Amino acid sequence: MARIVHYLNQFFIGAGGEDAAAQPPSSQAGPVGPGRRLAQLLGDEHEIVATVSCGDDDAAGRPEAVAEIAALIAEHQPDLVVAGPAFTSGRYGLACARVAAAAKAAGFNSVAAMHPDNPGLDEAGGAPVVASGEAARLMGPALDTLSAAVKKLLAGEVLTNADGLVGLAPRQPRMAERTGAQRAVDLALARLAGDRDATEVPLPRFDRVTPAPPITDLRNSTLAILTEGALVPDDNPGALESARATKWLRYSLEGRDELKPGEWRSVHGGFSTVWANEDPHRILPLDAARQLEREGAIGRLYEEYLVTAGNGTSVANARRFGVEWAADLRHSGARAAILTAT
Amino acid sequence: MGDATQWSDGTLTVSAEEAQALVAAPSLADVKVSWASPGDAVRIVKVLDVVEPRSKGPGGGGVFPGWLEGPAVEGPTHVLRGAAVVVAGYLPRAQEAVIDMSGPAAELSPFGSTHNLVIEFTPAPDADWADVDDALRRGSLALAARLAEATLDAPPDEEETVPDPGPVDGLPRIGAVTNLQTQGVFKDVFVRGSSFNGQAPALIDPAEIDDGAVVSGQFGHPSLRNPTWVHQNHPVANALRARHGKDLAFAGVVLSPEPVSASEKARISAAAAQVCADAGFEAVILTKEGGGNADADIALKMDALEDMGITTVGLFAEMAGPDGTGPPIVVAPEKATAMVSTGNYDTRLDLPEMERALGGEELALLGVPATSAMQLPTAVILASLGCLGGGRLTCAQEA
Repeated sequence: MARIVHYLNQFFIGAGGEDAAAQPPSSQAGPVGPGRRLAQLLGDEHEIVATVSCGDDDAAGRPEAVAEIAALIAEHQPDLVVAGPAFTSGRYGLACARVAAAAKAAGFNSVAAMHPDNPGLDEAGGAPVVASGEAARLMGPALDTLSAAVKKLLAGEVLTNADGLVGLAPRQPRMAERTGAQRAVDLALARLAGDRDATEVPLPRFDRVTPAPPITDLRNSTLAILTEGALVPDDNPGALESARATKWLRYSLEGRDELKPGEWRSVHGGFSTVWANEDPHRILPLDAARQLEREGAIGRLYEEYLVTAGNGTSVANARRFGVEWAADLRHSGARAAILTAT
Repeated sequence: MGDATQWSDGTLTVSAEEAQALVAAPSLADVKVSWASPGDAVRIVKVLDVVEPRSKGPGGGGVFPGWLEGPAVEGPTHVLRGAAVVVAGYLPRAQEAVIDMSGPAAELSPFGSTHNLVIEFTPAPDADWADVDDALRRGSLALAARLAEATLDAPPDEEETVPDPGPVDGLPRIGAVTNLQTQGVFKDVFVRGSSFNGQAPALIDPAEIDDGAVVSGQFGHPSLRNPTWVHQNHPVANALRARHGKDLAFAGVVLSPEPVSASEKARISAAAAQVCADAGFEAVILTKEGGGNADADIALKMDALEDMGITTVGLFAEMAGPDGTGPPIVVAPEKATAMVSTGNYDTRLDLPEMERALGGEELALLGVPATSAMQLPTAVILASLGCLGGGRLTCAQEA
């Protein structure tokens, strides 16, 4: 009998939606929610011995959360860890991928399930990820794929695209025989001759984000100020990159009413920073935010700001930053944010 | 280097004194010139612009219009192919660009295989940086014209006649739309001596581009900028010329600015598409200059052209992350889909230690000596991602 631990978020164990997203890691015996259907599909030779869960904000927004989840999983010494399916949910996908990665690093077999566009995909650390549809209404087929993948992995087999394996289809640099301009002429002629599909690069389809509903009571809400303008303390202690950022940083605003020139600096490499450095509020409007706080127009200003450099950043990294920022802000109670762009 | 600037038996000799005098300006305290040739263990850092030596007569004979004083001369353009004038040194706001003369980066930049006369400089105390920039541009263009002038009386190794754009019965009319990143001082491109910032998309005779009508003052993303040399050798115009009258008719070149704001990008894109339609283009090869925001110019123009029934191919470099698994483009067209990849901005390169560095002692980006072994993304190698399609670098998914 193979022992399986299933990871789910707060929603799928029935603890609640966004209201329960800050819930810390927890564990309970046996399958829960979609885990029951998964257990049925897996049959008598597999047992879901425990379901470990965590709120999405906590799992994606608090750095220690994944290690705590991994520790709860390790108590059961499973033969395999299953995470998800997370569909297109960003925070949940990030959590599933990181849990699968942590389980793999701890020596357990693991597999996660999510939509191929989920920003979590890059975080699976080499653990296999199988495809799911876009939303929970596609739970049925997602569990079919996942249960088949689990059986295969426990039989010691390797997953392939035919099993729904997604991710890691790298495009590798190479030298073509002809120049880009010559190939472009070939492609134009092919198109004019009626080939409507010819291309060297299949284009990505980007999701369109539906804006969150407006804040109804800003006077009682916490507002965060964020920037991709690379404004950091003058000595850039976190070594934020000027271009192609791989990380974001946080700095405290506690006890500060203004950002003095000379103490702060934009390290952004994509625009002239002269005016930003003359008056850092041009990048991060702390002065105006504090005034709104004093006037009572906003409840409170979030006491940290989050920052990265938006300059040649890969879409994959930018999406990950977005999911992490959302989780971080929700986790710390901020309900509105102003993100300045340069 | 020698006592006089001259061309003899296939060898160019340059008087350093004359070269320095041509570049000298009140805003420059000191100017130094030296050669870096293919195969040398040399790294050129902080590269600003690169110019190909060309001349039509004394004083340039009309090349680099708007910059040089020489009276315009009718007749052939003398090209010193294989040589380049390179300006390298610190300017604020310039993103640091690298040329390696040997090692794996040498084949990625067009300037790893040219003999480069490198201009280094020290600004005058209290000089305005914009004046330094202007002096370097004038100086490098004058020096490039002067080098080619040495060949005016010499028989050419090769003669080339390029066709004018125009219709050919029964052949599809394909033109080029060339985006120029025009976003203010140090991110600007000049056409016939004036900033193209704020100008409308317009047809230009490609022979004018050959003769230096487009000059770069654009110091953004190193791999994604088009130095003056690249415009002088406009790869799309040349690819279309090569097949003019065979399987296509070269329809012409439209220059278009890349403005900053989203609304201006949309307005300029519609205007550029209209110019192409008015000129009777049936298909367009569209190129970009710059980083992520320039992807929006590509996407909007491709869709605007497709809306007018003009088939469009976009050239762009991928920004797909170090392992090439990320989405390749920041803003994708919604209607047009024909794309050519000129490589991945994020690919990491391991570069060897060099014996000599020009342009600066340090690579500020990493805070290491410029001669040291280092790992850099392709993004930093000048013109390596061939925005105008001059290079062979591409990306493909492994089967």
